Amino acid sequence: MKAHFQAAIDDRIEKAKDFFIFVGEIFSLLFQTIKCTFSGKFYTARLMEQINLLGFGSTSITVVIGLTMGLVMTLNFGYGLTKFGGTLYVPAVVSLSLAREMAPLFTSLLVAGRVGSGIAAEIGAMNVNQQVDAIRALGTSPIRVLVVPRFWAMIISLPLLTALSFAVGIIGGMIVCKTEFDIIPGFYLFKVFSTVKLHDYVSGIFKSMVFGGIITIFACYKGLNTKDGTKGVGITTTWVVVTASILILVTDFFISKIFLVIWN
Amino acid sequence: MSESILELKNVHKSFGKNKIHRGIDITLKKGESLGLLGGSGTGKSVLLRSIIGLERIDQGEIIFHGERYDHLMEDELTPYRIKISYSFQSGALFDSINVFENIAYPLFEHTNFSYQQIKDKVRDMLKLIDLPGRESVMPSDLSGGMQKRVGMARAMILNPEVLLYDEPTAGLDPANTLNVVALMQKLKDKGLASIFVTHDIPSALSLCDRIVVLHEGKIIFNDTPIKFQTSSDPIVNKFNVHKD
Repeated sequence: MKAHFQAAIDDRIEKAKDFFIFVGEIFSLLFQTIKCTFSGKFYTARLMEQINLLGFGSTSITVVIGLTMGLVMTLNFGYGLTKFGGTLYVPAVVSLSLAREMAPLFTSLLVAGRVGSGIAAEIGAMNVNQQVDAIRALGTSPIRVLVVPRFWAMIISLPLLTALSFAVGIIGGMIVCKTEFDIIPGFYLFKVFSTVKLHDYVSGIFKSMVFGGIITIFACYKGLNTKDGTKGVGITTTWVVVTASILILVTDFFISKIFLVIWN
Repeated sequence: MSESILELKNVHKSFGKNKIHRGIDITLKKGESLGLLGGSGTGKSVLLRSIIGLERIDQGEIIFHGERYDHLMEDELTPYRIKISYSFQSGALFDSINVFENIAYPLFEHTNFSYQQIKDKVRDMLKLIDLPGRESVMPSDLSGGMQKRVGMARAMILNPEVLLYDEPTAGLDPANTLNVVALMQKLKDKGLASIFVTHDIPSALSLCDRIVVLHEGKIIFNDTPIKFQTSSDPIVNKFNVHKD
């Protein structure tokens, strides 16, 4: 009984140790990524390539998610608020929700699925095929070559995708307001721009930058540590999408709280 | 062939409780070819990976031209990785870029050559490995033997002093094996020192100046191919199937 209890404690201690090592390695990768950015060779061409692949390549799904969010939110808020005579508040509620929460959150979750899994699978496959070892053996750094361009590509692209998602969402809301609630586009846009303040935009943009960093660092970390061949690549991909999505949701709460404290 | 360029002194390496190397001592002289033999799982590839710094040794020293480098940080290993090159068993070519970009990769990274100079060097290298005009081919469109030769070309494009071959003839048909061995002979004739991990005994005997046999983490034989063929050691003789 005592031995069983001791084994259980040892197991917990081992798991806790592994967790702290994992956290340490994540922060170490983040630190090395930033260090490599500001020292030594920087691959501008690779950065551009990644912005094209990760950012520009995600525009179509961003437009779809943005438009859908705008349409659905306006429809629901519209019918909900109409019951209490608050139809005219629909543009304000929709635009504020989109700018602060919905656009950065949903765009990031979608990008975590599309881009996070892609990065993890690509680097993971390179790792199991010894291409990452080859990068090292040829006197170059996998962090500099693989992680840095992807990290900055996401930090640059995700806020732009969020802005696009917000803009398309606003257009979606405008369409529903006009067709369902007879709110003319001029009034709708006036209410949108008078309600959403600079700090609301800043909050959304800042969040998406943080989410972009989370997606890339976790995807690259897991990709660089992929083992067990193609099976390992599959496990890595799933892990990255799930972990990044959960972290995005948790981080969103804390950043929202910080911004509300700062601006109110 | 007297000057020692690479030395391994009392190298120990374990993975968890599994002790791979238990005090390995090897000296590689300038222009010398050393064949590293041993059963599967005896740590031949791990030894090469330790020399290039892909694995950290637990104890001992690895010295290049009198300078110990096994304890250095990843960034500090770059000068050694330019002078000591590693040819992977699989070739480990970057599959998203073509043959030219693969071979030119170290030149773009470590030299200030113009694009035209790099193009010329890659063209010359492709001639040397008997694959002229294949610059634009993707690695997936090459056979296994061709991929290995392109991997070797990438490893030697910076004119290293030592080339580490990890089973370069494994999995190849006899014709491709001959191509790869001929290429290794060409490089040997140019004065390149090498360590050749292999199970291909005839190739090792024809190419190498010295044969080293690893067994249970230790070196049990380190002498010339002739001595290897006439050895009376029963473990050495297990590898010596071509004795007669």
